[in-house]
Amino acid sequence: MNLREWMGRKKRDGCGNGPDYSFAFLDDVSKREIRRKILKAVAIPGYQVPFGSRELPIARGWGTGGLQITLSLVLPEDILKVIDQGCDGSVNAVNIKRFIQAVTGVRLTTDTGEATLIQTRHRVPEEPMTDAQILILQVPYPEALREVEPSERVTRRMHAEADYSRMWLYLYEDIVKFDEITIGYRYPVTVNGRYIMDPSPIPRWDIPKLHMAETLFLFGAGREKRIYAVPPHTPVVPLEFEDFRFRVENFEGKACARCGATDTYLDEIIDDATGRRLFFCSDTGFCDKRCGE
Amino acid sequence: MKPLLEIHGLTKLFGSGCGHCLPGGVSPEEGNRCGRCGTVVGCGDVSLMVYPGEVLGVVGESGSGKSTLVRLIHFELDATAGEIYLNNGKEDAARENLLMQSPFRRRQIRSRHMGIVYQNPWLGLRMQVSSGGNIAEKLLAAGWRNVSEIRKRAAFLLERTEIPVNRMDEPPANFSGGMQQRVQIAKALSNNPQVLLLDEVTTGLDLSVQARVLDLIRNLQRELAVAMIVVSHDLGVIRLLCQRTIVMRHGRVVESGLTDQVLEDPRHEYTQLLVSSQL
Repeated sequence: MNLREWMGRKKRDGCGNGPDYSFAFLDDVSKREIRRKILKAVAIPGYQVPFGSRELPIARGWGTGGLQITLSLVLPEDILKVIDQGCDGSVNAVNIKRFIQAVTGVRLTTDTGEATLIQTRHRVPEEPMTDAQILILQVPYPEALREVEPSERVTRRMHAEADYSRMWLYLYEDIVKFDEITIGYRYPVTVNGRYIMDPSPIPRWDIPKLHMAETLFLFGAGREKRIYAVPPHTPVVPLEFEDFRFRVENFEGKACARCGATDTYLDEIIDDATGRRLFFCSDTGFCDKRCGE
Repeated sequence: MKPLLEIHGLTKLFGSGCGHCLPGGVSPEEGNRCGRCGTVVGCGDVSLMVYPGEVLGVVGESGSGKSTLVRLIHFELDATAGEIYLNNGKEDAARENLLMQSPFRRRQIRSRHMGIVYQNPWLGLRMQVSSGGNIAEKLLAAGWRNVSEIRKRAAFLLERTEIPVNRMDEPPANFSGGMQQRVQIAKALSNNPQVLLLDEVTTGLDLSVQARVLDLIRNLQRELAVAMIVVSHDLGVIRLLCQRTIVMRHGRVVESGLTDQVLEDPRHEYTQLLVSSQL
């Protein structure tokens, strides 16, 4: 029995053949809870709002935070795009996409411009997004201070008091040891001049896209039970020193082997047969568009 | 002259209290522990003033509330009652009781205007982080955001506290007790604090190292004219550093005055006992 057959199977009570679930799987109370927490997150940019994370037919830690946000926001007229590290076709993205479509019937797309709702794991699409779109990011570890403080109770107090000197010290020690800030992804940012936030494991390349954007960014961590947000037109500033500036990945002299792009985030792939290093756009939807497919 | 630090009726009770001992804890005649509910007076109705550039000594036996007093001033404990005012030198600045401020605001005040040196360097330092980093932490908390300036300031302070600058990137865990104490002092002084709190800084160090640390503190104090509160049970330390002294017992101030006066001509019987028990 495939997913669709299972969803549409005869109900247990024998009353008809309709789906056994509400629209978008979650019941209304759960959706309301998640929407309320989203509103709070939008009202306090960068603040992690605890929420009642629900059980889903996929395991926690596999995108359930993002999925719950998507399910509580999705409308029948939405057009959905799901990506996993920029890729529309990877297993995680396809599974989530098929699940959402099975429980809502919404139209799917790989075109960033066309989508109204985009759920993503670890990338922000290359194509600039508009105020008519919402980007939902899956977050494995929502606490940016976890690196320097293991206790949740203490990190919450640190956020409350804006006691961020230890996070800065972490960067300072990095510079002392390696003469540069070595954080590659999950680069901590200050949101709206107040909270330090984990932007989820997106590459540094994507951080500037969060700053003063047109789009609403929602972050969901299902296992850790936290929702946070960056509303449109909100300053998002990476932690940096006056003499050690934040910088994005450098792809100078490299271009996508498929579409020839020199202004996108590139994945390095080594050809098994020839051993050659090749670079491809990480954002496959954007690459396809450029290739005119 | 306006006092830099003003404290009125500072009280800290450990325990919930009962009808017998509330509101201010048991009476001093009964000691510091309520016989009925077990509530302990950590600090009872302590009032004091520290003037700019002054060094105030706090003496008393262990358990007399000296450290509790310092931790209350450093906002590490929540006071039961009382008022603390810190003058920032501006004439028109609003007078605000710091104990009524939010934790956020208190942290700001602490990072910008206070420094503390503990008896145990493990409390004041991060042993696995470099010594320079320890000083940097304080500067970062005070809003410094330039690595080369931070390093310059850290090197300057370490030099002043007689730590070889080439050991700046070593963690204090590699250092001797006396050196760790000097790193702590460098850290405490890094943000040019208005008030420096010294909690038993020389206890546990051997005599020659004690002398060097005290020398350093005295020189720095003369040079920077920073106001200090020096807590010690060692009357020698108090005599060497402090102009004025308060004597504490059972969480209360039993005597206060000029250091010479208190130590040479003690009035309260407890102070007399303290002075006469000195070896």
